[in-house]
Amino acid sequence: MTATPLQTTTSTIKGAATALRDGSLTSTALTQQILDRAIALNPALGAYVDITADAALEQAAAADTALAAGDDRGPLQGIPLAIKDIIAMKGAATTANSRVLAPTWGAGTDAPVVARLRDAGAVFVGKATTSEFAIGLPDATKGFPVPHNPWNIEHTPAGSSSGTGIAVSAGLALGGLGTDTGGSVRSPAAVNGHTGLKVTFGRVPKSGVVPLGFSLDSIGPMARSAWDCAALLEVMAGFDPTDPNAAQQPVPAYTELLDGSVDGLRIALPMPYFFDHEQLDPEMHDAVLVAVKQLVGLGASSTEVELAHAAEAKDANHIILVAEAYAYHRNNLVNRWTDYGVHTRPTLARGAFYSAGDVAQAERFRMMFSRQVAALFENYDVIITPSAPTPAERAADLSPSKRLQVVSYTGHWNLTGLPAVAIPVGFSTSGLPLSMQIVGKPFAEATVLKVADALQQITDWHLAMPPVDALAA
Amino acid sequence: MSNESEQLALVLAMAGVEPIETDLGPLATAYSIARENSALVASVTAARYEEPALIFSARP
Repeated sequence: MTATPLQTTTSTIKGAATALRDGSLTSTALTQQILDRAIALNPALGAYVDITADAALEQAAAADTALAAGDDRGPLQGIPLAIKDIIAMKGAATTANSRVLAPTWGAGTDAPVVARLRDAGAVFVGKATTSEFAIGLPDATKGFPVPHNPWNIEHTPAGSSSGTGIAVSAGLALGGLGTDTGGSVRSPAAVNGHTGLKVTFGRVPKSGVVPLGFSLDSIGPMARSAWDCAALLEVMAGFDPTDPNAAQQPVPAYTELLDGSVDGLRIALPMPYFFDHEQLDPEMHDAVLVAVKQLVGLGASSTEVELAHAAEAKDANHIILVAEAYAYHRNNLVNRWTDYGVHTRPTLARGAFYSAGDVAQAERFRMMFSRQVAALFENYDVIITPSAPTPAERAADLSPSKRLQVVSYTGHWNLTGLPAVAIPVGFSTSGLPLSMQIVGKPFAEATVLKVADALQQITDWHLAMPPVDALAA
Repeated sequence: MSNESEQLALVLAMAGVEPIETDLGPLATAYSIARENSALVASVTAARYEEPALIFSARP
């Protein structure tokens, strides 16, 4: 099986959608190419748990027939997507990359978000690798693919939406779904060099998804560009009665709001912790500030601010996350401890280490911090930070305890339920992607995507593809 | 309770989990960090309802 390179013009959803409509490309040809790449490169990259090739080609053929007949369902029609393997999808099992999840979980059903994509005519390449139950580091002894960063396979692709992150970056899908509870859409987008959006809590229904932290979880689009994420979000977003947390908020035509203008945009740069921490890589620091300067050149303004208690906010998110995860897993941890991965089980057990008072205090902190951030947003439109303190780390250097101790810039926005997008802003001298995070007010996905798109209209970091074809099996 | 290892053993017993030998080191590290994390979050006085104005009081 060979992996033929994707053309830059059709490596995005927007480009492919145009080509599908001007007759220069069919969904069948595009999907076959994507499938060939996925099959050839999966042994090296570990992006997929299950590649649903036959079903994907049937969906592609149906998309071609529909488009030829004038049944145009929008830009996702005929587009190959990856679905994170904690999200239910008809025609494939959902494993959560674990021996613990019942094999029949979600069988024969689509999560509402998947059903919406299916109705929009999307093509599903397969179920993408995830950290076990969206929280553990890979355990090679459990029989699931171990994911690798396509820019350097010795480095982590981050998680927990590892597979979708790899697939988008390496051209094994043109977009896909991830979930984000503490950074699991944004971190893979950041280290794999593409765009990933954590939505406002409740923006996208999360029923039909194996939960991690029920008050923090969100499903988000991952794709090469902000425009592509906007196209995905238009279909994904909106109320669904099966999710008690789903918001009754209208869904804008996100793609139509991307006009490239940030004139008058007020950017807050929280310097303490986010920009002055000793763990922040200097190249990451500089790349983000260069990108901010580019936005200022387009008419935005930026101001250095202080956001107090940022370090505590990271910990409060973690306390709530593991407490909620532990509540879900406690019986299985008792009865099936060694069926969990070697890194997953001590991570989940942390939920038992916090007392009821600890969790209550974390929730009190959450309310206080949310009010503090809301006050900041009275005078600014977006907050910009690095997406991560460093480029992708070496996989061999990772450990659950190290993850607890490193600085992190993502959990704050799960704690406060706000939208936040990660976009590439350059490369390190070692060739690894650098990434910037843009945070908005509640339900201001249009604003954060607009800012991201404005930058992507004058830069091309998001179009870079890792040189993976030589890794083909 | 004299030290963290005893505390951890009690917490694990209360949770009903039976980790294997090789899990104990990572669990001990995680427990120690958890105590630090919770103390840090608890130290934020602005998030504590100990201010008199925030305590409900009923007067006859």
